Amino acid sequence: MQEPNTFKGFLATFVATTLMLFTILIAPTANAQNLQVGVTLHPYYSFVSNIVGDRAEVIPLIGAESNPHGYIPQPADMKRILDMDVMVVNGIGHDSWAFEILQAAGAKDDLPLIYANDGVSLIPIAGDPSGAKVVNPHTFISTVAAIQQIYGIARQLAEYDPENADFYRDNSRAYALELRKLRAKFDGMIAGVNLSGFRCATMHSGYDYIMQELGLNVSAVIEPRHGVEPTARQMADTIDRIKASNVNVLFAEKYFASALSDTIRDATGVQIYSISHISSGPYSNEKFADEMLENLTTLASAIRDVANLTATAP
Amino acid sequence: MTSKALQLVRPAASRYETLTLLLTAAILISAQMLYVANLGRQETEEQIYAWQISSFNSFEGADQTIYSALFTVKDEVPYIYDDVNRFNGPDEKFRWPNIEDFQEYLVPPFYHDTSWEQSGSLEWLLFEPVAEGEMQGYSMYLGTNGNLDKQGSFLLTIGHVHAGFSNNNSLDIWWHSQGSIAMPESGFRDTLVRKGWKLVIPYSGDKEVKRIFGE
Repeated sequence: MQEPNTFKGFLATFVATTLMLFTILIAPTANAQNLQVGVTLHPYYSFVSNIVGDRAEVIPLIGAESNPHGYIPQPADMKRILDMDVMVVNGIGHDSWAFEILQAAGAKDDLPLIYANDGVSLIPIAGDPSGAKVVNPHTFISTVAAIQQIYGIARQLAEYDPENADFYRDNSRAYALELRKLRAKFDGMIAGVNLSGFRCATMHSGYDYIMQELGLNVSAVIEPRHGVEPTARQMADTIDRIKASNVNVLFAEKYFASALSDTIRDATGVQIYSISHISSGPYSNEKFADEMLENLTTLASAIRDVANLTATAP
Repeated sequence: MTSKALQLVRPAASRYETLTLLLTAAILISAQMLYVANLGRQETEEQIYAWQISSFNSFEGADQTIYSALFTVKDEVPYIYDDVNRFNGPDEKFRWPNIEDFQEYLVPPFYHDTSWEQSGSLEWLLFEPVAEGEMQGYSMYLGTNGNLDKQGSFLLTIGHVHAGFSNNNSLDIWWHSQGSIAMPESGFRDTLVRKGWKLVIPYSGDKEVKRIFGE
């Protein structure tokens, strides 16, 4: 009587063990078959995650808390880059360190790159005191240029993973609509507000694309080049320009604070608001949309505050 | 002994040390200033013909806003075209998205929001050509009658060519310095050029990548 039970027990254990081993051995293999997509910047993590869903892995090249401005490559970056099948880059000046990492890892000629800005119509940095036409690489702080990049990335990812081409295209469209709805929310926040008195300056050129698409002109940019502090002479000229243009709002950086904004406020009386560069903090699918909504909400507050001040001014 | 002890002994190359130090400092400062001044500078001047206009070098304000939005529409129009024709019956004519469709999809520069108002509240019109066999010809979206000073008009042309099983669409964006203008009779390049329209040439990311990294 014991024998059949022992046999049944053995059989059950054998089946369970086999299933467990199968799961352990097969699951990582299936996962490893997914496309491994590297990204250099936080917005690209959100873009690609929303495009690929669960059908590809997204690998950030640098740590979540790293500052992409003047980033110094780390040994761990080289290890991460070797795990990628393809990498999405800004390529027009905001992630030049990625090319140093590629070179150092010996992957320069092997790892295919998706240049997110290939199909984006670039604009010059606004308010350049010399009038020079300098390419602005901050195409990701926007909705219009972001959507253009999302479509471009989805199209190029489809070339590496044709089986999921339709899935990527549909997701890119759904994500584009989600971003467009943020603009519609912003519009609701400033409905009926008079924008005629709104004049703004920005600490750096990072916000030109979002300002441009909303139809808001930037009268002055404090930093002569991104990450470069102005000289005393440039600062004095900028303050004069802010006063002459009746600028009433200065948009400063949320993540990388600068004491210069306080100096300008003291000299000109502008109100300071912080906007996110979307380039620090934990990587997530939602980060870009969340922080873009936060930025649009801040912009709406600034516009409303200026309209109220203008309306109550004697 | 005392006078010898107080004798001033100069280093053999003291003048040169100071001079070298000053020169090195000057070279370093100049090099840094030059680097900062040229950081991100667009050095490649594209060849632009008289019948073309550069969005990067020539557009500002509202024109730049409208053009950037239209540039994205170029990607989106084929998708919306598929959507609006998805449930067509066998005898139903295929159509290009109209302005109301773009409103529904919240697509700028057609969508009526604050940005549209800030950019001169352009009136957008769709011209769909009479079907010639398989709908070959040009569809055109005209944006005109803006209310800002010195504002131009925009035209998005979509040329369709059917050859056998091949179905090609070419999308171009044109700009006219007149703020108020009628829908062109044809989307052919020569016709538009003769009427004063200029083909807008973007400075797109692929060109900047080539400038930075070479061909």
